[in-house]
Order: sequence, then C-alpha cells, then structure tokens
Amino acid sequence: MANTFGDSYGLTCLCPIQNGQCEANDDNSFDLASYDKITRRRLQTLPQNEQSPFAKIPNTYFARLFILNDVFFEQGNDVKRDHLKSKYLVFTSNFHGELETYLEGMWHNAESEIRNIWQYAVGFERVNNAASFIDYIKKCQLKTTLFFNGSNDKSLKQQLKSLYVKQAFSEFVLLNQGKNAATLKAEFKAFLEQIQLNNLDSPSWRPGQTRLTEASYSIPTTTPENS
Amino acid sequence: MTTNRPLDLYDIQGNICKGYGRFGFPKARYFFLEFHHPKRAQHFLKQLVPLITTAERWAHKDHPAPEEKPTITTNIGFTFSGLQALELPELSLRGFPVEFQMGMRERKAILGDDGPSDPQHWDPVWQGEHVHAWVSINAQNEEALQQHYLKIEQLISESQSGVSIRPGHKGPNGELLPYQDASAVYENGKPGPKEHFGFTDGIGNPYFEGCGNDLSRLPGRGKLTRDGNWVPLATGEFILGHVDEAQEYPPAPTPKLLALNGTFMVYRKLHENVKTFQDYVDNLAKDFDGSKELLMAKFAGRWADNGAPLVLAPDDRSKAELDKTLAELTTQANNGDQCAAGQLKALKQKWIDFTYDDDKSGAKCPVGAHIRRTNTRGSLETEKEAFNSKGALVDRRRLMRRGLPYGGHDELTDDNSEQGIIFMCIGASIERQFEFVQQQWVNYSNDFKLGNDKDVFLGNHNGQLTDKAIIQAEPGSGKAPFFCTHLPRFVETRGGDYFFIPSITALEMIAQGIVDPA
Repeated sequence: MANTFGDSYGLTCLCPIQNGQCEANDDNSFDLASYDKITRRRLQTLPQNEQSPFAKIPNTYFARLFILNDVFFEQGNDVKRDHLKSKYLVFTSNFHGELETYLEGMWHNAESEIRNIWQYAVGFERVNNAASFIDYIKKCQLKTTLFFNGSNDKSLKQQLKSLYVKQAFSEFVLLNQGKNAATLKAEFKAFLEQIQLNNLDSPSWRPGQTRLTEASYSIPTTTPENS
Repeated sequence: MTTNRPLDLYDIQGNICKGYGRFGFPKARYFFLEFHHPKRAQHFLKQLVPLITTAERWAHKDHPAPEEKPTITTNIGFTFSGLQALELPELSLRGFPVEFQMGMRERKAILGDDGPSDPQHWDPVWQGEHVHAWVSINAQNEEALQQHYLKIEQLISESQSGVSIRPGHKGPNGELLPYQDASAVYENGKPGPKEHFGFTDGIGNPYFEGCGNDLSRLPGRGKLTRDGNWVPLATGEFILGHVDEAQEYPPAPTPKLLALNGTFMVYRKLHENVKTFQDYVDNLAKDFDGSKELLMAKFAGRWADNGAPLVLAPDDRSKAELDKTLAELTTQANNGDQCAAGQLKALKQKWIDFTYDDDKSGAKCPVGAHIRRTNTRGSLETEKEAFNSKGALVDRRRLMRRGLPYGGHDELTDDNSEQGIIFMCIGASIERQFEFVQQQWVNYSNDFKLGNDKDVFLGNHNGQLTDKAIIQAEPGSGKAPFFCTHLPRFVETRGGDYFFIPSITALEMIAQGIVDPA
C-alpha cells in the first residue's frame, strides 16, 4: 500500500555488495579496489539528464543510486550499536505504473548499464533476463513508508508533453501580444498545429530534460490564412 | 518581541546607523588599501582610528547632542584577505562566515555575475586578492573631500610602504584612477535622490532597535506585526553581538569583542547601461497602454520623478491627481499653513508606510516590480495567518543600503560612458540577507510564482524572448497582462567584495595586534 500513491510507485531497494576486491580495469587503471569502490566509481561517472540511462527507461519520474556504507546512531555512549555486514547499493525510483512492468522496461532498455552497476551485488550473477532481474529487485525491496510523490499521476510522456506545451504556450503569448483577434485566432490555429496536442511523442520535452534549452515554438513565416 | 536596548553608538561605525547622503553628505570617495607589512599596516591603522566616524548622534536644531556634525566622515572595512594580511589569529579568521572568507568573486554563481558581469571583466582593482581594506570618505563638498583624502594619503605615505592605495578604478574617460568617486546626481545645482536611469532611489531603508533613528521614521521601515503595526527590527539583523530576529546571536568570529558592534558590508560597482535602458523603454512604451512614465514605474514599483509608490497612485490619472495635491499642499505649507504642512507630511509618510494587502494580484504594483521583490513587506504571506507575523519571510532578508551614484558627468550618457551606482549594503549575514535576495528574489521568482522571471533592472538578462517581465492587469477588468520580452542587461557588475566593518574597540585591537581568540 505504502509503495504506491495513486498511479505512482515508490521503489526502494537495498542490494548488498560483495565483500572483497579485484583489479579495477574500468578506466584503464589496474589497481586493486574493493567491489564497493568500483561500484561507486561507476555510479559517479554515470551520464546525467538526457544522457542518463534512466532517460531511456520508460516512465521514470526520478531515480537515484548511492552506496550505503553503514548506519549511524546518534545516541549515548552505552548503547549497543548495530553495523551493516556489507555495504549496500541503494536504488530508489519513483515511476508511473506497475512495478513489474517498470522493471521489465528497465531491463530491456538499459541491460548493459544494469549489468555494469549491479555486477558486484551479492547474488546478481544469477540474473540473466528480465524475469530474474524482477525477482532479484523484489528480494531486495524495502516497503516504502511515508512515500511522498513529488510528481503527478500522469505517465511520463504526458508530463513531458505538458511541460513542452507550457513552455510553447508562454512563447506563443510573448510572440503574439497585442495582435488583433483575427490574426491571433489564425496564429493560435497554427500554434495548435505545430504543437500537436494529442501527439505525446513529438514535439515534446525529452526524458531527462531539466531545463528550457531551446525555443519550443516559432511563428510560422506564413500563416495558413495568408498562404 | 525583543526590547530596545541602548547601543554603544560611540563604538559602532557611523555608516552602519547613518545613511550619510540623508545627513547632507552628497559626495563620497571610496579607496582600497593593500597591506604589505603587518606591523606597519597596524601602525597606520592606529593613526587612522581617531579619524573614524562613529554612530553617535549629531546635534540638530530639534535635539541637542554633544557631538556636532562633522564636515567629513571616515569609515573602514576589511576583506578576509586583508585580515589575513594583518595576521589575525587563524582561529579568529576561521570563525568568519564562509561567504566572507570566499569573497564576492568566488560567489559569482550565486550572485548571477555572468557574461559581461563576470569578474574577469571587472575593473583592474578587483583582479587578484590585493584589496585588503575599504576606506570611505563622505563629504559635504568636493574641497573637504579632497583635503581629507590628502590627509589619509599622507598617513599612508608615512607607513614606510606598509600600506598602499590599490589603484585601478575605471574613470569617466576610461582612465584608471586610484579611487572611486561617487556623488548624488545634481539637479538645478542641488544634490537629488536620483540615479542615472532617472529613478528616485534609496527610499525605504530598514529601521532597527537602538539605531538612534527618529521614531517617526519607523512606519514602513521596521517589521510588520500581525495587527498591521510597525515595530523595529532586531538589532542583530544589522549589528553583530546582538540578538537577531530568530532570537539568536548571528554567527561571528571569536573573540566576542572582535565581532561585537561590528557588521558586514557588500560593496558592488553596478554599471548602468543608460542608452540600452532608454531605448528599450522608448520602444516598449509604443505598445503599452499608458505613459512611458507609468511603464517605468511598473518596473520599479515607484514613479521615477518623485518616488511615489504605485500602490498609492497605480495609473497615470491617479498620479496626476497625487501630483496636484502634492503641489497644492507644498504651496500652502510654504506659505505658512500649518495644517497643510501636517497633511503634506502625512501624505509623504505614505511613500514608505504601505503594504501590498490591497494589491495581491499585482494590478497596481506588479508582483515582480523591483521594490516588491527586494522588500516584500507582508506580501509573501499568501495564505491568511500562515506565519507568526505577516513579514516573517522578509524580516531576515532586509538590506540596509548605503552608497551613491557614480559617474554620469558627461552631457551624453550612453552604455559606454561611466555611470552607475556604488551599491553598498550592510547586514549581519551576507549569505542570509544580500546573497539570498540577489539569488532568489532578484534573479529568480519562485517565491513570487513568476517562474524564472528576474528583476527588470538587476536581473542578468540576455535579450532573449523569455527574458521577460509581466505587468499584471486587474482580474476581471477584461484587460490583458502586458509582457515585456527580450529584456537586455541594464546593469552590469564592474567589481566589488565583502567587507567586515569592525567596531572601534575591535579596530583598536586589530591595530594593536592583540586579537586573542583563546
């Protein structure tokens, strides 16, 4: 119950990382490094925004990967302290839709990145297809408590289209200020044709896009009425 | 509410409590020192201490006081590298706030100093970490200014090369000067309150406890209470070692005496692209439903000519009526009519004493207008009684503005002539006050629900379509809001830094080399 909020899903999973070390030959440096260090390096060098592997995974609102070294308690001196037996790869994702569908899409769209990131996770060597990946993640899953969904319930495509339309409409307003009703009507018709409200694929914002990068809308050089 | 407690005005530098311009000092010279030898620099400071102007009240016809108003004032502040050059103990140095330690150049991403405002384009004086101290002279006339400057220059020349004046201020003809002169803009031979874009400036400075100000100046300048009254802001918002609006002592270095009665000051040379501004306004006014003056007022939140706030006169018609009333009352008051004089005073009070309660939509004063951004008054409490007081979100972001316009002596001012504002502001926390306002309210608009819009004057615009400002219309009036697009950069940063303004006690300790944090 707490994992979902409307049609949004809050996934949190902790995947233990193997203890031990090997030669890290990721970046042509063949030094010995522990598995968690190699994993961290890989996370730290992941591309971001539009280039992020998560931009390829359908319906990802927001995702995060980090290494949990240990747990800390801020209590008095005489308290028994627990420590983790291994370091954990923590993966959290807020997305639209069902868990299994999402994880299946994740495997199919970013298999090589997943294999790279999870390579040294305990038991990951048994993952070799979408079904075993889903099983693996489910085994590592924590129940999400206090799930706050910072997005709305719509699919990612709908949200990206909305952002695009919002930007394009404000540009439409700025470009057409003060025009008479007839011209404005013609321009608006051209605007609607250009932005294709019902086409969620294009034109739209790209997955991973976080800021205005280019003008979304331009006044056609000749409006349909004039042509 | 905190309670008034008398401040030791003899220990506080005068520029903290007094805007000298208001006290009849329309001329200023700012120059910057470099310390080459700590002991000799300390010796120089010892000679300078007796010249420093304190915040003590000056005798006035309405209130006698032991101190007569001087002909000139002198104040000093130090950069972090200046305090290092004076060999303050490491422990004391590390107690200063991080933004002060970093200095203004390193904070450029927060301040929006990009493109033409990037530090690499600043005046040569700001290149490198050579500016160690700021010295300011304010004077009633040029002659007194020059004389006093020579006096301090003499002290510097006696320092055996321990101290030098750091040159490199771009002057009116592109030449490099050893100092930055500033002056009120003169109209008909008299110093006035205008800056070079033509706006009346410097109207609404804050009022804080113990500052020695006249209580009649409180309404509109202090903080708003729940019942709509004005009370003084806590001293600690502006002076270290005193309790602030959070009932805490502002972060400050040790020992306590180093910080007590001191504060921080931001110095920024802000160049004004006058030609670009005039062209933009002339061009945009053609499409605007109202006069050019109204359009300019919508940018500022005040009418350029006399500083009347838009909430008092939101359109051309009401402005004409206000001007008529103002002229009549002034004439009557000048003819000795006491009643008219009283009415005039009450009317002028409304220049400061107002809120945006009756203008939530921004139809009178646009939500993104300069004065509504930089001093939001109670307008950020958009839900009824959301905070402890109406101004809770602004009380900790107030800027005590000092400084004067500079340049603009030529007949033809354009973008390339030297003119602008020496912006200085004082506060107990540069990060919480100046930097926050600059980053969140000047160069961003989330708090105003205006997306990425920026302050028309100060925003780091680049002339793109979406570099815009919105002039709201009255909801239900059938009128459309007016969008100002392609805003160019009207103001460019030409240099500056962060300064610590010590108390007289601390200055003496620094000069004697006896600052001891242990």
